[in-house]
Amino acid sequence: MCTRAFVELSKTTAAKRGMPLEPIVFTPHPVWGKTPAELAVMVSGPDPVAGKPIMKEIVDNLTTPLSEAEKKTGIENVSAGPAVYGPDTLDNLQEIFMNNGMTDYMPVIIPTEEKVEAMLKGTSHHPDEVLKKAIQGVGYESAQWGYTVRHAAVNAVMAGCRPEYFPVVLAMASVGELGLFGSTTSASSAILINGPIRDKLSMNYGIGALSPFAQSNATIGRVWTLMSKNLSSGGIPGDTYQGSQGNNLDYNNLVIAEDEKNSPWTPFHVQMGFKPEENVVSFFLGWDIRQGHGAKGAGAIVNPMFDEQISDMFRTMAGTSGALVVCDPLVAKRLVEQGYDTKEKLAEWLWKNTMRTAKDYRESSLAYVYTYPLALEGREPYATWYKVPEDTLIPWFPKASNINFVVCGGQTNAFFQVANMNHSRSASIDKWM
Amino acid sequence: MKINRRRLLSLLGTSPALLAGSVVETEAKTKSVRSGTGSDVKFTAVSPKGTPPAVQLYSMAPRLDTLDGKTIYLVDTGFFGGGLLLQEMQGWFQQNMPMVKTIFRKKAGGWAADDPPLWAEIKAKGNAAIMAIGH
Repeated sequence: MCTRAFVELSKTTAAKRGMPLEPIVFTPHPVWGKTPAELAVMVSGPDPVAGKPIMKEIVDNLTTPLSEAEKKTGIENVSAGPAVYGPDTLDNLQEIFMNNGMTDYMPVIIPTEEKVEAMLKGTSHHPDEVLKKAIQGVGYESAQWGYTVRHAAVNAVMAGCRPEYFPVVLAMASVGELGLFGSTTSASSAILINGPIRDKLSMNYGIGALSPFAQSNATIGRVWTLMSKNLSSGGIPGDTYQGSQGNNLDYNNLVIAEDEKNSPWTPFHVQMGFKPEENVVSFFLGWDIRQGHGAKGAGAIVNPMFDEQISDMFRTMAGTSGALVVCDPLVAKRLVEQGYDTKEKLAEWLWKNTMRTAKDYRESSLAYVYTYPLALEGREPYATWYKVPEDTLIPWFPKASNINFVVCGGQTNAFFQVANMNHSRSASIDKWM
Repeated sequence: MKINRRRLLSLLGTSPALLAGSVVETEAKTKSVRSGTGSDVKFTAVSPKGTPPAVQLYSMAPRLDTLDGKTIYLVDTGFFGGGLLLQEMQGWFQQNMPMVKTIFRKKAGGWAADDPPLWAEIKAKGNAAIMAIGH
């Protein structure tokens, strides 16, 4: 049973998992937030898609003998469409690519064979090397498709990447799970680059670090979106993408190059166990990024307590995820003066000093869906959080390690931004040179 | 000395976009030898799509001749509202089809997690299952 909001998704998912004729009954949408009395009326009413009474439909589905089509077994190959498009004019190819959902609805660099070959020179890896195998029925849709170095090169051309960016693109593609996460909550991703490659690719981590002021920042973010659409059939609205309002960060994601030189702290990739001279791409998944202007005490003329301001921002976030605090070097230096000479010290203070009651936590919808099941399995801290008296104060985030920091910015003002995102993984760029 | 290419081009009164276009033009002229001239120049583009997996088709489970005397599992995935909906459905069966035995179960783990022990229980003790996704 599904609600009517997921007609297409439920049917295509069943088909992709080998059950194209699986009986699915639909209810009105949403069922969330309805009282038992309202749900009782719903159960006794019609399926809004089939038009039949829901319970009659269920009984019929369980008792009507199978048709020959429902008994069918075997392997069915699925096509992703033609291997090439054209020959046609550039303008027509733009239309074809856009109309087939292969772009971000902005003009792309049309990937001719010559351009793809030029991009492939950016790596020593063979074009036919498999980055990810196609596997039926594993996790989300994005986990099921397969792709090669060549597939990634085509998307890198489209995004406007230069060949020297290609190792970064391959590192991104190699993690096996792409972006445009299909949640109804409209998730988004951040991509953090560390290591000497930042300067080699002229990445911007100074003034306007998060704005469109460097080709590398812009296109590395853009290719993540294009790969998410094309390499894994992600981003099909109503099917593999369900974000109710969508997320503007999806256009080129939140690409950050850390200012390792002007940061008083250890670079993020070193915190994760890489050597300083290694080139690394790290992924964060969550929802959004917001300015610190809204924090209590923000803009204070004398002695701005940035730790308290950051803590205040955390109280607007989903505690089931994490926080990525993006500090201008001026803010980082001030925090060191406050006594936080390491990112870990600051994370520990924020974790211990950003609290809410257990009652508030339990009433959070995301907590019920994502962490209550973990509590039932006895996993901590969730098991304890669901047992303590409801007025007990508990941390906003499960662990201090859910709170991360990165430094970038042009030092024109002491500002910070906070993304409600959790670190998911880091990958070596160097192996893709 | 590192040259700011964009600033240099702007000082020359030239846009990088125009130069990018001229590269395409050059390419197009080269192509035009093979596939057309002027505005008819045509190109072949490589598809950016990955490879979808082949699909193993499964036969649907044989249907029941009747639900009377049978056991139906009502499985809540844990996502919003699905559990309450199934509980109302259980009430409907009790009122309207009392010969049907229904067992309500919340699937273990998160909403997307597998629950092999529950599937084994349903296979051993049930005749059918209805799973509600919620939302």
